[in-house]
Amino acid sequence: MTTVTAPAVPAELAAPRKPPRFALARRTVMTPILLSLLIVVIACLTVMTGSRPFNQAVIDVFVRVTLVVGLYIFIGNSGVLSFGHIGFTCLGAYAAAWLTISPMMKKSSLPGLPGWLLETKLPYWESAIFAALFAGVAALIFGKVLMRLSGIAASIATFAVLAMINTIYSNWENVTGATSSVVGIPIVRVIWPYVIAAVVSIFIAWAHAISRAGLALRAARDEPTAAAASGIDIPKERLVAFTISGAVMGLGGAMMAHSIGVVTPDTFYLGLTFITLSMLVVGGMSSLSGAVIGVVLLSALIQALRWLEAGVPIGSDVFALPKGLQEIALGVIMIVILALRPAGLIGNREITLFRRNRNQ
Amino acid sequence: MAYIKRLLAAAFAMAVAMGAYPALADDGDIVVGFATAASGFMEAYDKPAQDAAMIRIDEINAAGGLLGKKIKVVSADTKSDRAEGAKAGLSVIDQGAKLVVVSCDYDFGAPAALAAEDAGLVSFFLCAESVKAGIQGVGPHSFSASVLAAVQGATMSEWAFKEKKAKTFYRLLDTWTEYNKGICDGFDWMMPKLEAQGAKLVGQDTFKNDDASIAAQITRIKALPQEPDAIMLCTMMPGAVSAIKQIRAAGINSMILNGSGVDGSYWLSAVPDLSNFYTPVQGSIYGDDPNPDVQKFNVVYKKKTGTDPSSQYVYPGYSMIDVWAKAVERAKTTDADAVVAELEKMKAEPTLFGPRTFTHELHHQNQARYLIVETKNGKPGVVGYWTISEPIPLDALVKK
Repeated sequence: MTTVTAPAVPAELAAPRKPPRFALARRTVMTPILLSLLIVVIACLTVMTGSRPFNQAVIDVFVRVTLVVGLYIFIGNSGVLSFGHIGFTCLGAYAAAWLTISPMMKKSSLPGLPGWLLETKLPYWESAIFAALFAGVAALIFGKVLMRLSGIAASIATFAVLAMINTIYSNWENVTGATSSVVGIPIVRVIWPYVIAAVVSIFIAWAHAISRAGLALRAARDEPTAAAASGIDIPKERLVAFTISGAVMGLGGAMMAHSIGVVTPDTFYLGLTFITLSMLVVGGMSSLSGAVIGVVLLSALIQALRWLEAGVPIGSDVFALPKGLQEIALGVIMIVILALRPAGLIGNREITLFRRNRNQ
Repeated sequence: MAYIKRLLAAAFAMAVAMGAYPALADDGDIVVGFATAASGFMEAYDKPAQDAAMIRIDEINAAGGLLGKKIKVVSADTKSDRAEGAKAGLSVIDQGAKLVVVSCDYDFGAPAALAAEDAGLVSFFLCAESVKAGIQGVGPHSFSASVLAAVQGATMSEWAFKEKKAKTFYRLLDTWTEYNKGICDGFDWMMPKLEAQGAKLVGQDTFKNDDASIAAQITRIKALPQEPDAIMLCTMMPGAVSAIKQIRAAGINSMILNGSGVDGSYWLSAVPDLSNFYTPVQGSIYGDDPNPDVQKFNVVYKKKTGTDPSSQYVYPGYSMIDVWAKAVERAKTTDADAVVAELEKMKAEPTLFGPRTFTHELHHQNQARYLIVETKNGKPGVVGYWTISEPIPLDALVKK
């Protein structure tokens, strides 16, 4: 006669075990710190070169880091592909324009703005905060409806949001200047504000990812049925991520407006949507490190190819690629990366100082 | 960690390479920087005008240079992209440009022009025709080499009334671009003056450049008791061809008045035997310009580029270098403020393509001599020239 005795669950496992406070934060905080260090190091190197076009190129990279991290907050954690986030960038950019253009210029070019807004002129960093809040509120409102959908339906619905925002902004003559460029936005050519925006967005993304809402959302991404059975309100957790990522996209939009000094609705449409999405996918969709490194790597690649296009002196000859090869080469390289590493360069890991850390 | 190491190494290598790259200008040269499109859709507009500018630069260099120095050209590609435009502007500024030449279109040239304005340098739009391309949209050091779109609309309506005795006008606006609206703004400013002398606006309508059919608009023209003498067509390529084709196919034979945007013979085969069709141009590409020097220019252009000028938008590039070089000679320096002051003193300064005037309020032409090209049985040719009787005032150009 054999009796099967199931080993009793040890007491220390059966009892609800509470991890020490901030244990998760302590274990993962190296990731945002390292990524921020990477950003700061690049910024320092750029300042050291003293080249203005290179400075502008790196500013562009940091704006994209902000945008792609914004995308990651929603797409990475929820697993729902969104084509609509550049719409929130558009909202942020125009909000920054409304808040920073001098009242005199606004009266002639955007006469339809409400009186209090016409009289307002804020410094760029205040306007960036308001722009982020504005985009966040818009994301909250849209998200309330959209987050009930999932899978491809949600993706297409977000695309509809992008199309809607674009159409409104290309036609509302008095308020957005329709398809004409809105000019007079103060241009910020110092690199540090962009560094700060990128670093802040990285920390926001990290803080959200280890928060209760972030963990619940990732659980719902990997096992929706089990997550729902465990009491996770999936639409609610998605809405939280959607709102936060909308705000970060708005911040990126404001920074973008200040980096070029001109905004038009068609800047914030399909072109920007696909380049930011492909940076996220190439880097690794479900990893914050992937988002940042994807941008830095692809941007470096674009810059190097452009440099080769312009011509490199080798001895007495100038070696130059044919014009337009940059776009083709970039496409080919992206295909190769995705063929070799379908989950992106980083996959779903995060960079840390310790090997044991995986995607929590 | 390996990733970061590799990445840092790559970033560092790139930074070093980029830092070493910008070629510093020789002190003996005056540098002109072109932040224009060498690829992408804007290239079709920028390249011809830039070639024309190069012809003038070569002439100046052959005649001993400017202030005794050679003009050296540096360029950066905007890739027909706004963000790249800002970088291209900064890149030519870093290479020592004293004049920054930017893209034809205001939207695409503005980022580079703003960068030049920031650095306190003179910038010139190659052929922008919006009032924003200058003080209004960039700042006090920015100019446009072309003529305002509004002047084209005003010129055509006044010329048709005075020279062709057109009495009834119809206004058909394609609302797609600022340029189109600009042409009709000029027409709207001129019309009340003509109405006081007996002309009449019998109707107006709008369409969109990508409308496949403008049948509804044509029906309304046909419903008029009498066919209008002239239709002011404020549109541009590519939609212009389809609109013109449909108007003629419907049997409307009124004069069609246009902006310069439809100049060129490349599209005429799409509307066979087009007649009674008028376009204002700064110089003629059809080999019949009344000024023999323009014909000489066309020959030089063909020798340099291998093709004839495709449209009148080649010419502003030449005038641009011409007026800037004159201002530099007079100011005896390339210092931006001194050059701007000299440019603003220009009143009807003669150039190969008509007189040019700049004031402290407007860095653009609000009155210009236009050649009128008539297309008859599918053959374009110059039939006269016209200068509007008074310049278009600033408040008709800038909407309040």
